[in-house]
Amino acid sequence: MTGKTRYFLVGSALVFFVGLSIGLVAYYGGVPQGLFAASPGPAELKFVPADAAIVAYANVKQVMSSDLRQRLRQFGGPTDEGRNEIKTATGIDIENDIEYVVAFMDKRQADAAANNTNGLVLARGQFDQGRLEAFAREKGATVEDYKGKRLIKPGVNDAEQVSSHERGLAVAFLGSGLVAIGGDAVIRRVIDGSAASAKTARDNPEMMKLIADQRDASFWAVGHFDAISSQAKLPQEVTDRIPPITWFSASGHVNGGVQVMVKAETKSDEAASNLRDIVRGFVALAKMQAGNRPEAQALWPSVEMGGTGKTVSLSFGVTTQLIDVMTPKKRDSGGAPKPAAPKKPESSEKSAK
Amino acid sequence: MSTTTPDPNVTLPTAGPAMSDPAMPGSAMAGPAMPGSAMAGPAIPGSAMAGPLMREAPPFVTAALRVFDLSLSQMLWSRRTIFLGLVVGSPVALGLMLRILDAFGFTGSIRMGGAPVPGAAVFGSMIWLLYLRFLVPVLGVFYGTSLIADEVDDKTVTYLFVRPISRSAVLVGKYLAYVVTTVFVVLPSVVVLYLCVQPLGHGSLAEGFMSLLIDLGLLGLGLAAYGALFAMIGAGVKRPLVAGLVFAFGWEQLAMALPGYLRKFTIAYYLQALVPHSMPADGLGSALQALFRDVPSPTTSLSAIFAMIVIFLAIAAWMVEKREYVLEQ
Repeated sequence: MTGKTRYFLVGSALVFFVGLSIGLVAYYGGVPQGLFAASPGPAELKFVPADAAIVAYANVKQVMSSDLRQRLRQFGGPTDEGRNEIKTATGIDIENDIEYVVAFMDKRQADAAANNTNGLVLARGQFDQGRLEAFAREKGATVEDYKGKRLIKPGVNDAEQVSSHERGLAVAFLGSGLVAIGGDAVIRRVIDGSAASAKTARDNPEMMKLIADQRDASFWAVGHFDAISSQAKLPQEVTDRIPPITWFSASGHVNGGVQVMVKAETKSDEAASNLRDIVRGFVALAKMQAGNRPEAQALWPSVEMGGTGKTVSLSFGVTTQLIDVMTPKKRDSGGAPKPAAPKKPESSEKSAK
Repeated sequence: MSTTTPDPNVTLPTAGPAMSDPAMPGSAMAGPAMPGSAMAGPAIPGSAMAGPLMREAPPFVTAALRVFDLSLSQMLWSRRTIFLGLVVGSPVALGLMLRILDAFGFTGSIRMGGAPVPGAAVFGSMIWLLYLRFLVPVLGVFYGTSLIADEVDDKTVTYLFVRPISRSAVLVGKYLAYVVTTVFVVLPSVVVLYLCVQPLGHGSLAEGFMSLLIDLGLLGLGLAAYGALFAMIGAGVKRPLVAGLVFAFGWEQLAMALPGYLRKFTIAYYLQALVPHSMPADGLGSALQALFRDVPSPTTSLSAIFAMIVIFLAIAAWMVEKREYVLEQ
């Protein structure tokens, strides 16, 4: 055997065994996510605590420019009121400044002080920090430094600001083009955690598995189901009848219409089976309701239930046609501007095909 | 594969000093026809083998290992290996490309029915379609058929067969060299492909690890089985490459698509029964296969593959021992 051959065999064996060792380590101990794969979800997840109750994402640019939003606006759906309020309060124009947002609900803060703002919205976009700080100062807000990050706290000049102040709202610049809007205590915890390299949502494998499934969604939310049920304050009779759900996720893809997928993970296969029965019942009921309106009934087959084992999923599509069908009264009442003839963008037509 | 440039570090057992010279002047083996075993019979007049320096022939295993040692470098650094590198490198290049696309955010690029395909499914399809159904038979055909046929074509078979070792040891040694060459090229490429492709679509390395181990074992078995079959064809047929290609891409494809027992006379039938990934729906062919599918049990498949390796090699060895190779002038 020549030296060249020997080197080749050794090199080949080395590649083989190194690869196998990586696989073996991943199999038994886990390889850090991102070493061999792009980490799922937005980069801002590094600011989300590992024990966050709910994490949500919305591609603001995509939703704002979608045909669905334009259609809903024509029927008097979303107005510019809320958008203007935020612009007045913070100087941030949602439609033009923000690309996407990541939001989460902090479980610890929720437990500690139910009245305080326990959520945080991380907005990624193009922000002029100097302009926004000047704007805040004009409004009587105070700007302070907290561990190298600029933190804006509302003043107490008017009733709205007093309310924000009492709720502990604050705005912080966490990085270039990244603004955090939410509870003061939550923001400080995020900044502390970031400085101390604390565990983040990326270190929560159960949550990351759910987030990884939301690829390409225009918006999504994942979290512990008990976080929703406790916030929703459902009646005891209802909560007793809901099979034990551990995790939930909801995602939607906005194009001409919106395609929504809701998933729930139960504690056992039996619980999942029960949940499927309940969902089936609700779907049947909805179909019966739609029976009064044949034009709407024609759109119902897009509701699909699925899932195996402990997972239950329900997907449905709300098409622009269904929106047209569901909102005739609004159109006829003359309260809102009459919609122009449906004009689908080319992209939505292609995707529908 | 030729023995015209033997490795200077390797010394095959010789009958005397004159045997180390490949020209072997005066040897009876230099003639065009070589009936039976070259070493059988009394000392050849005029040959250096006659005389007191004649050594005892080494045992079969030792002889086979020496031929393996000699053949490995020749096989590994032949022009055929460039072909092997290209063939094996293309899936790896594809995997790297997918990985780079993923790194740059083109993550939803692989879709099936509108839904993004996870990396495990991509990796499984590549093992199925690229490796098991194409690469392994191709490597088997090109290397397996050439084990003896190349020596005959290059008229160098003489120099191997005049050694005081059995011809079957030559075949087995060369076969082992083929297995090591292909395994050492193919399996690392599969591991690299696994590292590149498996994490795509947020797949996990851990999830696919056990499948990878089965895939690696399966590819090794496939290379050994196809190699043995084509070594047999190479030992017995005059135009082995054509016959091998017809078998791999004619007979196997046809028999696998047809209902009935014909598929049992293919290697693919037993290999596919052991594949841990579900068969990708790649058109009418796979739909038909799924329709008439009968899958042998893993035990049956493994037994059949091992039996084929032993039987094909035994027949190949018998053919090499008995066949009279006529070297064309």
